[in-house]
Amino acid sequence: MSQDDEKWGIAHVHASFNNTIMTVTDLTGAETIAKSSGGTAVKQNRDEASPYAAMQMAESVAEEVKAAGITGLHVNVRGPGGNLQKSPGPGAQATIRALARSGIEIGRIEDVTPIPHDGSRAPKGKGGY
Amino acid sequence: MRIAVTGTPGTGKTTVTEHLESRFKDEGSDEILGDAETAFEVTHLNDVLERDGLYTDIDAARESKIADLESLADWLAGRDDVIIESHLAHHFEADRVVVLRCRPDILEERLLERGETEAKATENAESEALDVVLAEAVEEHGFESVYEIDTTDRDPEVVADALEAVITGEREPSAGDVSFVEYIE
Ligand SMILES: Nc1ncnc2c1ncn2[C@@H]1O[C@H](COP(=O)(O)OP(=O)(O)O)[C@@H](O)[C@H]1O
Ligand SMILES: [Mg+2]
Repeated sequence: MSQDDEKWGIAHVHASFNNTIMTVTDLTGAETIAKSSGGTAVKQNRDEASPYAAMQMAESVAEEVKAAGITGLHVNVRGPGGNLQKSPGPGAQATIRALARSGIEIGRIEDVTPIPHDGSRAPKGKGGY
Repeated sequence: MRIAVTGTPGTGKTTVTEHLESRFKDEGSDEILGDAETAFEVTHLNDVLERDGLYTDIDAARESKIADLESLADWLAGRDDVIIESHLAHHFEADRVVVLRCRPDILEERLLERGETEAKATENAESEALDVVLAEAVEEHGFESVYEIDTTDRDPEVVADALEAVITGEREPSAGDVSFVEYIE
């Protein structure tokens, strides 16, 4: 595929404690190309269910994205995804892997998780991402 | 026993623990907790951080002091029969960790009403929608020590009852019962 055929978008991944959702927009963020309804984890087995649900969600979004002619995605990840040790968390990781597997090129991956704060906040790496 | 009361700013930690403090004053914490030896104290950790300067830096964009968690942990050492109230409380050792929750749109309203900036209200509401504090609390303390309490549409008195039930052992641990992800953007 030549350079001219490339078309890039942004995948906005929101990975909460028991859910992962994704919206794909154009590079300006103005136009929504595809939107997931979300993969809800099975409560009793959250740890295994969450990445799996996220993967299924990402696979169906990937088809829509490819149909719209998108060949590559930059990824913005927001949220702990139920796991702090690894950033991005398992839900977000599963999402990115599923996108890559579907043949979409993955560009920049940015973690833009919000930081809870009042007069104080946690230092980076300890809640403060 | 050490209780951490955490939750995104605006979930009502200061309000509910003040309610509990006045109950302790009116009735005595022994009356409520059934332990003649201990008087439960509430520590509002942001007050300690301000008073003793226990922060390492300032996040100018967020108008927020970056907490010195080590010094705060040192300050807390030996304080055992205490309720630690702060959105950072789950970063310290505790026997039980209470996570207050609030629907993000209502949390945003509460923060704006309290006089916070639009930016602060928005980022905290997004944190709440993504369960950031809950995920951290479970990560650091495990499901067996975390008690999630939804404060949405609940009077502070009712939330104080729920908190009291955690302390007396009448409430079971829980996490992830609320889902606020639909409030994203
Ligand atoms: N259960 C509640 N219902 C409605 N409003 C509340 C409740 N708890 C607190 N508030 C209000 O919301 C705002 C934030 O409460 P506050 O206790 O300061 O939260 P935090 O200490 O968690 O940041 C305050 O203006 C308070 O009056
Ligand atoms: Mg407070």
